[in-house]
Amino acid sequence: MTRTLKLLRRVLRGPASRRRILAGPAAVMALGVAAFAFMAVTGTAAQGANAPVSTNASDIAAGEQLFAAHCQSCHGVNGVGGTNGSPELIDAGAAAADFYITTGRMPLNATNNQALRHHSYFNATQTRDLVAYIADLPAINSAHPLPRVGEEAFNPTSPGIPTVAPLCTGPGTPSGCVTLSDGQRYYSLNCAQCHQAAGAGGMLSKGDIVPSLHNASLTQVAEAMRVGPSPMPVFGTGQLSAKQVSAIAQYVQYLHNPNNRGGLGISHFGPIAEGFVGIVIGFGVLMLASRLIGNRG
Amino acid sequence: MTTTDRPTASGDHSYAGYDEDDDPKVKLHYGIDPHDPWPDDVPRGQDDSRWRFQDNPRLARRAELKIAFCWTLTMLSGIALAIVYCVGGQPQVEGTMLFVGFVGLGVGLILWARDLLPGTEVTASRGTHNISDAAKREAAVEAFNRTVDPIARRPFLLRMLGLVGGVFGVAALFPIASLGDRPHRTLYKTAWGPGVRLVDQDNNPLKPADIAVNGILTVFPENNIESPQSSTVLINLGDAPFDVRPGTVGWNIGGLVAFSKICTHAGCPVGLYNAQTHQLVCPCHQSTFDVLKGCNPVFGPASRSLPQLPLAVNNAGYLISSEGYQQPVGPGFWNRA
Amino acid sequence: MSTTEERLAAEKRMKYERVGLDAVDDRLGSSGFIQKALDKIFPDHWSFMVGEIAMYCFVVLLITGVYLALYYVPSAADVVYHPTPGHGYMPLAGQHMSEAYQSVLNISFNVRAGLVMRQMHHWAAVVFMAAIAFHLCRIFFTGAFRRPRETNWVIGLLLLLSVMLEGFSGYSLPDDLLSGTGLRVVFSIVESIPFIGTWLAFDLWGSQFPGSSLIPRLFVVHEFLFPLAIIGLLTAHLMLIWRQKHTDFPGPGKTETNIRGSRLWPQYAIKSGALLMIIFGVLGALGGLFQINAIWLYGPYNPYTVSAGAQPDWYVGWLDGSVRLWPHWEFRSFGHEIANPFFPGVLVPGIVFTIMFAWPQIDRLIYKDHVAHNLLDRPRDKPFRTAVGVGALAFFTDLTFASGTDLLGNDLHMPFERLIEILQYGVFVAPLVAGAIAYKTCQALQRTDAHPIMKPVGGILIRTADGAYHTLGDEHGAHGDHDGHGHAVDDHDGNGHAAAHDDDGNGSADGNGHAAEEVDEPAAGAAISGPDPSGS
Repeated sequence: MTRTLKLLRRVLRGPASRRRILAGPAAVMALGVAAFAFMAVTGTAAQGANAPVSTNASDIAAGEQLFAAHCQSCHGVNGVGGTNGSPELIDAGAAAADFYITTGRMPLNATNNQALRHHSYFNATQTRDLVAYIADLPAINSAHPLPRVGEEAFNPTSPGIPTVAPLCTGPGTPSGCVTLSDGQRYYSLNCAQCHQAAGAGGMLSKGDIVPSLHNASLTQVAEAMRVGPSPMPVFGTGQLSAKQVSAIAQYVQYLHNPNNRGGLGISHFGPIAEGFVGIVIGFGVLMLASRLIGNRG
Repeated sequence: MTTTDRPTASGDHSYAGYDEDDDPKVKLHYGIDPHDPWPDDVPRGQDDSRWRFQDNPRLARRAELKIAFCWTLTMLSGIALAIVYCVGGQPQVEGTMLFVGFVGLGVGLILWARDLLPGTEVTASRGTHNISDAAKREAAVEAFNRTVDPIARRPFLLRMLGLVGGVFGVAALFPIASLGDRPHRTLYKTAWGPGVRLVDQDNNPLKPADIAVNGILTVFPENNIESPQSSTVLINLGDAPFDVRPGTVGWNIGGLVAFSKICTHAGCPVGLYNAQTHQLVCPCHQSTFDVLKGCNPVFGPASRSLPQLPLAVNNAGYLISSEGYQQPVGPGFWNRA
Repeated sequence: MSTTEERLAAEKRMKYERVGLDAVDDRLGSSGFIQKALDKIFPDHWSFMVGEIAMYCFVVLLITGVYLALYYVPSAADVVYHPTPGHGYMPLAGQHMSEAYQSVLNISFNVRAGLVMRQMHHWAAVVFMAAIAFHLCRIFFTGAFRRPRETNWVIGLLLLLSVMLEGFSGYSLPDDLLSGTGLRVVFSIVESIPFIGTWLAFDLWGSQFPGSSLIPRLFVVHEFLFPLAIIGLLTAHLMLIWRQKHTDFPGPGKTETNIRGSRLWPQYAIKSGALLMIIFGVLGALGGLFQINAIWLYGPYNPYTVSAGAQPDWYVGWLDGSVRLWPHWEFRSFGHEIANPFFPGVLVPGIVFTIMFAWPQIDRLIYKDHVAHNLLDRPRDKPFRTAVGVGALAFFTDLTFASGTDLLGNDLHMPFERLIEILQYGVFVAPLVAGAIAYKTCQALQRTDAHPIMKPVGGILIRTADGAYHTLGDEHGAHGDHDGHGHAVDDHDGNGHAAAHDDDGNGSADGNGHAAEEVDEPAAGAAISGPDPSGS
């Protein structure tokens, strides 16, 4: 009984956890049937690595091996880029490397595909090594300069992996903390226009997908803003401060499981999806009822 | 024509051989005027006084129990609703209890009506009341015509009345004008002008270096963030080949360009920026603007470019507008062109 | 059957009722009306109840709306939101917002049962429009708008318009990001009207968009003006139905001058009341279990912010779609301009509604049919009308899809450019194709009806008093006249009834009446068919 209730609370994602549920078995059954029938699939929030970039020579060497095996065919030796349009990575920076690898966007199947989220191809150690190697590329290239072949990396400012400030949870939290309210405000102006108010994603021109943010970790959100993974624009430190970026990242994290006090969120797709539910479930049930009451002849 | 020995709706006259044509009550029950003969398309001897389980007390008792069960559910959910309300409310429980309570009540009623209350389908006369009889029609026309001649005799008064209605009616329209400001030049103006600093959402001034290459930021005229027509997007195109159109020379600072954020189609904020194709897309109706070509519309319903804001840098190194917008921002209107 | 005590009790009850009704009649002379009302017959085909679903949704809207109005603050004044943990929505703490938006947050988080009421209200609006749309289709496809019911068709369309505007004004009241975006688009559409557009827009909004007058004005519109209009029109709608009596599908024993169904008392009244209860229940379940318009996630409205996937509620979707699909045309000359939103936002709905309002007249011209009808058409018997209706549905569906191009594009991984192009062609192609298919289907179904082999399957087998058998269809195999009146048709639900069909009401003695007598007179013959023909 209590386990069922817990499960229901999770499904409903409302502040039910904060409120006492006084449900008889009938309520639980009705809720359960409704909940499982239309359960919105939500991903689990994977926390990205937030470690500083390794400068350990052995890590860099391991990274070089991985790079040669998995990246070099497109991005060229020492990341100078490829003739197939693959960008050079010399100034790409650790944040870009970490973002593209942890979100599984790289390695890419075909060069003309939009890089979209997949399961990460590399494990944590491999990721650390590759990031270390790519972060070290400027040094490697100044030591052994090679002609650059590919297009310039998207944001040639070599941002490091940003750290995300914690949420203010009460009087005892550190001074650098951020609030969800600030996050909502900055998200609403800078992000919602593409990623939708609840982070459900959308559509850009020329068939470019705006991904849903429901799987993005804190670090990945911050990295994406700094890196501007194509076709997303860049949000540099002059546009959004580290604190603002942290606030947005925290708010996106909140959007993974937002307050769905009203019940099932219907994927937060908005009025058209709600209209569909209203017509199919609401009006549909009422039609059935009138068929039962009325004459079917 | 034919009679049956079943009880009829009138109840008291249900013996064989009784001619219903004589009973005005039966005719009334079947929508027939007591003075009219029984119509051919209304069968006689219909029985609407029986209920489904009339002859089966066992089934009737069972139906009663079913109804009682439904209504017990309703009572229980009523109690549950009261408790939930007192404890502070919980939308999901409230919704479920409302469902159980009302549907229980409804299903109980349906069972009652279906199983325990009289009323099979009956066929009755529609009556003739969609059309009145001739005498009534004539009388109505006469009553109306009483005034036609005298009025037609006074054409002057009739025309005068029309004129009065027109003039007085127009006078009554004038309060409408007080509902809103006059548009005047409002639609042509924004809060931008020579030397106005560009600020971000928190009213912080910006320097050219603040916008990263391929970066975008919504900017506002300083101290006028809420000015509805003034919101502007500031984009750093980097080295991308920006097409400076005639008349806009010197309006960009390197790759930095600023365009009105108000869509020229229906006024939504043009927010979606594809940094790869350098296109701005409106999330409302998918109008697409090519930033490299001066925000020329390339797809969707918009037919005009987003107006460009002339940029400059002041002595302190902050971004300013060197002038306001040179054309009205936002969607078209009658006097626009 | 009944014991003496029971009969005595029944007599006692009768006596009391008699005293009550007589007392009223002594003063009002009302017994004639009361008898007519209680004996009134309502055909109870299930599809006739959809109009009731609409009406009862309106009842839910009134009740929940009053509750919401007690807490809603119609003010655009700027306030700073100060929730306390557990009472209010913390992620918006400290933000500037309009008082209206704050009050809707309060309804959603602080007022007990407020969120359920709010969501029930919104769901009721969604279902209300669905029921109206279905009801409209039923009236159209069965020809229920024909003489003498043209006026009620017009009243029904006025109701549709009022409800759409009422819904849109309600959608706009919370002043959240989504509704504000919708209002911005409407402002632009009003602004685009030639000659008077800017003046009209400024008079409605009180100033340049967004201004501070609109929210209080919308409140008056949503709480008073349109509800009053809806109540008035609904009353007229019902009075006309009461006066003209309900239409019915053709069927055995049914003629233009009789009516078959349940009496108002007790069957119809109780079942209708039960439907009201079930609607309360279903909307309560939707309101409590399915989140609708989570305004706290959209955030307060700012003219410079917008969310992807901005759409109106579903019933305005076709207008939004029309605005999305209209090509980038604007007309400028002599220093004036007809802006783009005018065409899809004013002209298209103007034309659509004009055709809808004029349809009874158009239909009358097409079918040269000037007589009154109480029996409905089966859609297959009027292929052209059915084709027009199906085409219109395809048109609306295409436009409604267009209002979700960004969402659909994301789901289908298809560029919205291509999707919009497809839907642009679809506006013209889909209605034609759907209409043609509908037309051909109707003709095929008619041929099936006419085929002699099909007759016994769909017909009624009659045993005459002398023991001979024959089917109803045999008597009416030949069509009565050139445009399809007065022929025998199969029951459209395929449950085995034959339908004696006499829809031109001119009393053509082509045997229908004769057949009806046979069916309904138990002594003369027995009707043999699948389900119980009395169908209770």
